[in-house]
Amino acid sequence: MDLIWQIVVGVVSPGPLAAMLGSSLLGVFIGALPGLNPVMAIALLLPLTYSMEPLVALAMVAGIYNGSMYGGAIPAILLRIPGTPAAIATTFDGYPMAQAGQASKALKIACWSSAIGAASSAVALMTIGPILARGTLFFGPAEYFWIAMFGMASIGVMVGKDAVKGLMASVLGLLLGTVGLDQLSGAARYTFDQVWLLSGLDLIVVLVGLYALPPVLQLAEKADLKGLSASALRLDRIRISWSEIRSFVPTWGRSSLIGIGVGILPGAGGNIAAFLSYNAAKNASKDPDTFGKGNPVGVAAAECGNNADNAASMIPALTLGIPGNVVAALVLGALLIHGLQPGPQLFHQAPHLVGGFMLQMLLTAFLILAVGGAAATRVFAQVQRLPGVMLVPTILVLMAVGVYVINGRVIDLWVMFAAGLVGYLLEKVDVPLAPIVLGMILGPMAEQSVRRALLISRGDPADLVTSPISAVIALGTLAMILWPMVRAARARTR
Amino acid sequence: MAQRQDIVLGLVFVALGLFMAVQALDYSGATGRYPLALSVALAILGLIVAGKALFRETDAERALTVHRGRLILTAAVAAGYFLLVPVLGFYTASVLIVACLPVALGFRKPVYLATVTVVFTGTVWIVFSLILEKPLPAEIWALQA
Repeated sequence: MDLIWQIVVGVVSPGPLAAMLGSSLLGVFIGALPGLNPVMAIALLLPLTYSMEPLVALAMVAGIYNGSMYGGAIPAILLRIPGTPAAIATTFDGYPMAQAGQASKALKIACWSSAIGAASSAVALMTIGPILARGTLFFGPAEYFWIAMFGMASIGVMVGKDAVKGLMASVLGLLLGTVGLDQLSGAARYTFDQVWLLSGLDLIVVLVGLYALPPVLQLAEKADLKGLSASALRLDRIRISWSEIRSFVPTWGRSSLIGIGVGILPGAGGNIAAFLSYNAAKNASKDPDTFGKGNPVGVAAAECGNNADNAASMIPALTLGIPGNVVAALVLGALLIHGLQPGPQLFHQAPHLVGGFMLQMLLTAFLILAVGGAAATRVFAQVQRLPGVMLVPTILVLMAVGVYVINGRVIDLWVMFAAGLVGYLLEKVDVPLAPIVLGMILGPMAEQSVRRALLISRGDPADLVTSPISAVIALGTLAMILWPMVRAARARTR
Repeated sequence: MAQRQDIVLGLVFVALGLFMAVQALDYSGATGRYPLALSVALAILGLIVAGKALFRETDAERALTVHRGRLILTAAVAAGYFLLVPVLGFYTASVLIVACLPVALGFRKPVYLATVTVVFTGTVWIVFSLILEKPLPAEIWALQA
């Protein structure tokens, strides 16, 4: 009870409250700008959180995440341009509604559905997370090692188009995590006599490069010089009745469950949740032919589904150290900044912070209703009048200042730049970036765990799989790696 | 095109894996075993990517860039900006990039550009220097004064 009180008091204090409100507004703003996405926004934000209280930093992550996932619906409905990849399914019925003069109604439905989905997801995190964490009390070094390996394998295999490239990215991330002083022996590895490399590659510097520079380069390539005209963004005023809101309840329930289920799966993202929810709503409808032609239920299903993925993706991240998606990997990065090691011990190390973050995910879900209301949406829609070419240098400056303030070193700007160029090229050849980041986060934990386990067993590798838990996770890891081969073999025999 | 790209990609990772494996051989005991295992795994995975591409029967179009000229221009301007930050100072270099890069990309509205440059740089100064008091590379004109 004391812990719950401590969590509530921590979260409702002025700093975290202001951070939640401000970042939710910023999140909707970012989501509404096609080309910018929550991953990029959180990557840019992380360097600034070094000097902040952990609960303020996590409040900002929660606000930007939930806010931007709703914000993505604004251009999806008004212009058929999804603000985030997760808003693609929202365009199917949102845009036809806008063309029929119901843009305002579609946005209100998206706002309510986003809030309901995000809130259900936060409740799932608050209930499932602690139960799963309690189970991890029995974990030793061997189990931690296999959990890290399972996370790497699952995100490597599931997140990209090609499982081998995903695994390659995972191994690259693990290798990058070995740069610097070996934490157990103190020996320098891959430092090439460079003093600045002794502390290893800074995760946040690499992360900002990988996730912020590629979209900036893509914006520059498009060279949008005009932005949109005011007339394209004019909104009508249509009220939505309570009875109409109540009619969405079955859709919200179904989509929430789908989104939560998808969120827990490592590698599956909000776009998959939105598509599955949309299809489920269409299949359950008595009038499926109206979907794609402006059916409000289609907007409700897609938006509720993609937001129900938000907090649920944190469940494996916070309890096992395996992020469900890239944003969850960034949250793990935020925790590392504040000296907290993601993984099974997190709930026992800092329960007030984990609990606080879960509560913040819930509160920012409801804040969507406040900051995403009709008046605010009218304002946010105006951000699309900004020419894309103006965003390019401004984001570059934000990247530079964010990275420089971490260590006060100019060399970090070049590391970020190099990481960004490599990230741009890797994405183009279908190598996913998320496994690289996850490898850098989980690599040190995996190495320390396996070496401790081998010390305990006096060098006998068989001891890594003697406990039932580690054997099950090791088998799961093997199955995860072999699954794409089995799938390919089955496809060939058909 | 995708086939050739994947062959090159795989070979780059093979080379990277081998280079890191050779480095790891210099590290004694357990310090070297973990990175050695990872380096070898990286080289093997690179080989699989290259091998799969080599024996693939179909080849798909996969452009590496949407507009190569603008990409190179932006990357070069960004590199120039990072070079100038320690020389000219953070805000001077930032004003230059915010004002010049859109023009280089074809933007021709000087008043709009000047307004955005002043408002944006001013906001960054207020947030980072005034409120957060973060030390940033000093301005060249301030040093000379």
